Amino acid sequence: MKSKLNVQLYKNRKLIWFISFSFSLISIIGMILCLKSPNIKAPLNLGLDYTGGTQITLERSCSDNCFELNTIDLSQNISSLTNVDKNFDSDNSPNLNRSQIQLLDNSKLVSIRLPFLTASQSESVVTEVSKSFGPFINDNTSVEIIGPSLGKQLLKSSLISLIFAFLGIAIYINFRYDRRYSFLALFALLHDVLIVCGVFSWLGYLYNVEVDSLFAVSLLTIAGYSVNNTVVVFDRIREKSLIENELSFKYQIDNAVGATLTRTLYTSFTTLLPLICILIWGGSTLYWFAFALVIGVIAGSWSSIALAPSLLAITSKKEFD
Amino acid sequence: MGRKNYWFLVVILFAVLSIFICTNIPFQLGLDLRGGSQLTLEVQPTDEITKITPNEIEGVKAVLDKRVNGLGVSDSQLQTVGTNQLLLELPGEQDPSGAAKVLGETALLEFRIQRIGTELQLRDLQSQRNSVESIIKLLEENNNSAQLSKEINTNSDINKLFEKYNIKSTQILDLDQFIFLRNKINKKISLLFEPTSLTGQYLTNAGRRQDQNTNNWEVTLSFNSEGGEKFADITKSIAGTSRLLGIVIDGISNSEASVGKQFETAGITGGAATISGNFTVDDARNLEVQLRGGALPLPIDIIQIRTIGPSLGTQNIRLSLFAALTGLFFVGVFMIFIYKLAGFVSVLALSFYSLFTLSIYAILPVTLTLPGIAGFILSIGMAVDANVLIFERLKEELRNGNTLIRSIDASFKNAFSSIIDGHLTTLISCIALFYLGTGFVKGFAATLGIGVLLSLFTALTCTKAILKFLMSYQGLRKVSNFINPSQILPSSINVQQ
Repeated sequence: MKSKLNVQLYKNRKLIWFISFSFSLISIIGMILCLKSPNIKAPLNLGLDYTGGTQITLERSCSDNCFELNTIDLSQNISSLTNVDKNFDSDNSPNLNRSQIQLLDNSKLVSIRLPFLTASQSESVVTEVSKSFGPFINDNTSVEIIGPSLGKQLLKSSLISLIFAFLGIAIYINFRYDRRYSFLALFALLHDVLIVCGVFSWLGYLYNVEVDSLFAVSLLTIAGYSVNNTVVVFDRIREKSLIENELSFKYQIDNAVGATLTRTLYTSFTTLLPLICILIWGGSTLYWFAFALVIGVIAGSWSSIALAPSLLAITSKKEFD
Repeated sequence: MGRKNYWFLVVILFAVLSIFICTNIPFQLGLDLRGGSQLTLEVQPTDEITKITPNEIEGVKAVLDKRVNGLGVSDSQLQTVGTNQLLLELPGEQDPSGAAKVLGETALLEFRIQRIGTELQLRDLQSQRNSVESIIKLLEENNNSAQLSKEINTNSDINKLFEKYNIKSTQILDLDQFIFLRNKINKKISLLFEPTSLTGQYLTNAGRRQDQNTNNWEVTLSFNSEGGEKFADITKSIAGTSRLLGIVIDGISNSEASVGKQFETAGITGGAATISGNFTVDDARNLEVQLRGGALPLPIDIIQIRTIGPSLGTQNIRLSLFAALTGLFFVGVFMIFIYKLAGFVSVLALSFYSLFTLSIYAILPVTLTLPGIAGFILSIGMAVDANVLIFERLKEELRNGNTLIRSIDASFKNAFSSIIDGHLTTLISCIALFYLGTGFVKGFAATLGIGVLLSLFTALTCTKAILKFLMSYQGLRKVSNFINPSQILPSSINVQQ
């Protein structure tokens, strides 16, 4: 391994920008598709946390070979409760015809999505479904009910915390470095967040993957991670520009990126290791969270190695030779 | 042993202390890890109170606290969230609908007196109720048998009654529907009564008992002195007339009673009363709990319920911990492979780091949830990054031909600013999440934030202390323990200015 990798950012800057631009464009297209889609109507496929509703997850007590359940039968079974069950006999009881049923984990898990129900209404549904499609393992049942007002509130608080975190980071870098660095670090951060959102809008559009509160958490983590990486590179650029003052700024940048390249790749790799383990063994709860982070880590490494320094090179007032 | 090795002793001491803490103070586990129910209650404004102030929230919370205690779930927690919400955690509770029912009702107890000239209407409604009640009793005795309800179903009088009360039904009428009908009738009855100033706020206690003759459950009430006087006044005003006294709870009449002529002069004194609606044991117990806690000053809505089965919780812990530990094991192998002796030092430092962090979680305590564990794992990532930054610098210094001890010092010094920047930016995100986020987002921010703060300490102190300690042994103090000697640049004079 050579001490300094031969990095030529300035020379390849157009390729770098083209790659970042293409991914950003694909992301934006994904979001527009989601926005236009009649089922989603938002840039991302918002999940239960943000829209409100009921999610019931039941685990079937069959061993490895669970026979296929017919989801249409299941949803008809649930609709049949309307006007029949005491909890669904009033005029304003929720519409049970709008149930969405998914079988997960080799049809071992049954996930039922319904409009906002009360506790006793959700129990009626669990009892009814258990009667016809059981047996289920009672101890593994999970029910989540979120009121529509809470959903809106969660969405609002997620967005506010994202904005405040971004602002805080920008102010910090502005204070530690200067406005140009701060702007570019924020730019790289938005690039990474945009790509993660884009991937999830495509996943939402094509495979109905939803984003929940954990997704907002992952975005913030990615933001912190991306800025961390960018700052390490910038820190080295500043150091190089003090030591190797006789070289042109673009060489200083190339040298600094070269010097931090191994570190960025190692750090990304060591961050990816536990994430990939969570993806493989962590169960369904953390799956999409870990997935978002994996995308974010990859995008974050790219933007801090290539995008941000190459942009810094052209914003410099120094002459290029 | 030089002076610097004191640090090593301090680190070891901390580690021993942490092991002691981790094994003696139990971790607080969130509901997603131990199973149970979580309810979010939202206090609703009324026409009179349009803005909810902290005082009102406190009032609601005090009432709910008493009711929650009456539920008998151990370790239950009720806390205020934001400006108008309360979060209730019921560990181990699998059936939140019972709790939801006891908590959600306002439980406003009122004593009302019958409006003049409503005798006929009342008699009509009462007879309707009696027939419904006898059916309920019959169904209860036969365990809500389908055969019996089929027979009842063919009765046209009953069907007419259901139609009259606008209860649409496409199936066989069962016990629940008759109870629903009874409530509708009772609601109508309560409208024949006019309110008085005597309400549940004058109660000092409530209890329940079983009537010796009818085996029905009754709820007993004791008034304070002011309430007792009011009760005497009210009973005096209608004693000996045909007007009845109605006991109304949340707008539903529970029982109506006549007051005998003998109370004409003083009313019923003694400050006690009994409600003898048609209660089952559970009904009586719920009402008792609600009345004891008092009526809610403002109505509440249940806007979120999460129920997680207990074994699902343990499964969540097992899976995520297994995944995380495997991941960290690979990280350790990677570090030793790349950085040799320094890698080994970082594995040691990271183990210490994990111990410190976990013991802080136990002391504070931080409630561990699934996202919280994810936050912890990510904080380890930050800690690893700090080590990578330092060791990359170390390699660089060694390649330039510097001596080992000087390289170690320089590497910590040079990596310092990057480490600080990286950690602080992450900390900024954590603070934003902690103050603006809700629920488990907060848990994630807390574990990650604490982890990042500690990582700053361990990266700069622990790693250095261990490294210096090992360097006090001649056998380990070799450049070849850190990098391949062939990588040292032969001409490394003009690199540093």
